[in-house]
Amino acid sequence: MLKTDFLGMKMPNPIIVAAGPWNRDGLGLKESLQAGAGAVVTESIVSDTTLDVRPYISCDGKGAQNIRLYSDIQIEGWERELAIAKSGGGIVIASISAQTPSELAYLASKLERFGADAIELSVSNPAAESLEVVASHADTIFEMTKEVVSTVRIPVIVKLSQNTTNISKVAMAAKAAGAAGVTAINTVRGILGVDLETATPSLSTYGGISGEYIRPLGLASVAAIAQTADIPICGVGGIRTAENAVEYMMLGASAVQLGTTVMLEGKEAIRKIVQELEVWGQNHNLKNISDIKGKALENLKSFDEMKFQPQVSRVNGTPCGENCELCMSACMYRAIRKEKDTIKVNRSKCTGCGLCTFICPAKKLKLSF
Amino acid sequence: MNIKQIAKAAGVSVATVSRVLNHPESVAEATRERILKTIEEEEYTPNWFARGLNFNRTKTIGLLIPYNLNSTYMEVANGVEEVARQKGYITFICSMENDPQMEKEYIDQLIMRKVDGLILLFSSMDEEYAQWIETKKVPAILIGECKTRDNWDSVNVDCRAGAAEMTAHLVECGHENIAMLVGSDPEPEMDSMLQGYKNILKANGRRVDEKLIMNVENSIEGGYIGMKKMIGKLPKRPDAVFASSDEIAYGAIDAIKETGLRVPEDIAVAGFGNDRMSALMEPKVTTVELPYRKMGIYGARVLFDLIEEKHSSRKEDDNVEKRPPRKIELQTKLRVRKSCGHQGRIGEMF
Repeated sequence: MLKTDFLGMKMPNPIIVAAGPWNRDGLGLKESLQAGAGAVVTESIVSDTTLDVRPYISCDGKGAQNIRLYSDIQIEGWERELAIAKSGGGIVIASISAQTPSELAYLASKLERFGADAIELSVSNPAAESLEVVASHADTIFEMTKEVVSTVRIPVIVKLSQNTTNISKVAMAAKAAGAAGVTAINTVRGILGVDLETATPSLSTYGGISGEYIRPLGLASVAAIAQTADIPICGVGGIRTAENAVEYMMLGASAVQLGTTVMLEGKEAIRKIVQELEVWGQNHNLKNISDIKGKALENLKSFDEMKFQPQVSRVNGTPCGENCELCMSACMYRAIRKEKDTIKVNRSKCTGCGLCTFICPAKKLKLSF
Repeated sequence: MNIKQIAKAAGVSVATVSRVLNHPESVAEATRERILKTIEEEEYTPNWFARGLNFNRTKTIGLLIPYNLNSTYMEVANGVEEVARQKGYITFICSMENDPQMEKEYIDQLIMRKVDGLILLFSSMDEEYAQWIETKKVPAILIGECKTRDNWDSVNVDCRAGAAEMTAHLVECGHENIAMLVGSDPEPEMDSMLQGYKNILKANGRRVDEKLIMNVENSIEGGYIGMKKMIGKLPKRPDAVFASSDEIAYGAIDAIKETGLRVPEDIAVAGFGNDRMSALMEPKVTTVELPYRKMGIYGARVLFDLIEEKHSSRKEDDNVEKRPPRKIELQTKLRVRKSCGHQGRIGEMF
């Protein structure tokens, strides 16, 4: 049921383990595959592994901030690592990162020869040195992708960033240059927090934020690309459960990637999510997981296309015995009041914004005509 | 210990040990592991020279650099050696002392010693010599532009773009009279940089004043002398100087300070190269980063690819020569620091 064909790669399931230090060498990749991943992506392989700044990672309960997470194994060493990674079977995608098209093409051609099944261009890392990530420029992405696509025969996937004004435009540039697919999204530039006592930010420079913080951004990016550019998408950003994976797929992703979850919860998280997804599919009588792809897009419209909406909030099942006043305090239009056990909505004041329907713990309120 | 003793200790044939050393993928994993363990325990090191004879290789390459007291060229060498070492190669590093005649003599010597390949860094070889190397059929590649050859496999850095970016930065900082101290080497790169500088001045509606362009030796002394001349002789002294190397910039800063003027308040100084010292000078030098080590790394990669190609397709030698040259283009990056008087932090942060 979970079998997935992504860019011609036959995967046992659509759960891919993303680029990162958990996939830093052959052994790490092999472990991810053995934990049940449909495919794995190497930590980003670069032209020269010499570090100007060493890698740093900080995290809290919801996500992480990182800087400088690149492979510390030179391209020469990846021949050995890929052989180890693939020694138990499975699909390995090589992530590469560099400044110029010819560097990327060189790295890609080597990795193709070493047995990589696909190339993922990591051109969207916000922890890199410039204010504007490479992936914010459609023309640069076009040039880089084109050079790589013309050099290798395996599929080329471009990893995109939210740090751009128009992600669809960048996705279309990747497609025009011959990319087989896109991955969305990379980490987003941010600062996780500040230690008030020492006046110190979580890391000593800006980094890439990952985890739950970026899931809404990832979902919107995947949906936007799915609705505007005709190219297969791999969704990534804050997936912690099978339901999160389904959300991405319903918004147009063909496959998804796990990163921070694997970093913070270990590789068992891969097995857990794959199993949950299998159960979810069975419970929903799915023959094929790809049947859900894009399902939610039908309900995602432009302002112009939005139909006349239910206008007011109605109380569902009075009386309300809940000992709370959340609906009243949240209603900015002063439309809700409570009389003894009864919630009353003033229909002339209610604008139908719907906030009370999300905020009510007992789900007593809903929108209707 | 020799290979026979290793074979005996591991209980396999000499041929199997040889295969583990040369084509490890062709040996069963368990056997390979056992032999590698024996090799490690016995601290056996293969005789590289003998191996070279077997494979018609010496496992050596030659690297020609313009001048070995220039630390930036040694960074390139560091990159070359890193890759060469991983391939089991020894690198002969020869310094040409900026002398074309010396370059020829070294190449002669290296070819006589049967190196498997040559890397020429900022070569100034003439047409006749380039042809001679080609007749020797020694795999050779270029790092940096070479006036006589653009059809060899090579690694290049876009110095014109780097110089243009720096000149644009100086214009943005509000400098009116931007002078340039142009080093004596490497020549083609200097030409490119000069073009980048002039293009930006013209694009900003500035007149290119040839008096503000001075050729100097590529050294601290060259920068010092050039700057002294500029301050002393020009009717109107420049308010910014773009040096074509960090060393020239250091000399220029020294000369400015000695005259009692301040950097950047009286004269801004920009460098090129991002030499380690540039961030330690006072003031910290705004410069353009050149990926020296990466040039070396890619130079070695391209050379070893060429060596492999030649060995694997001996009979189709011609095909190798007919394919288009492999060219790796690298990028520079502006490093905004304190020596050019810019306002705000954005350039420094990102």
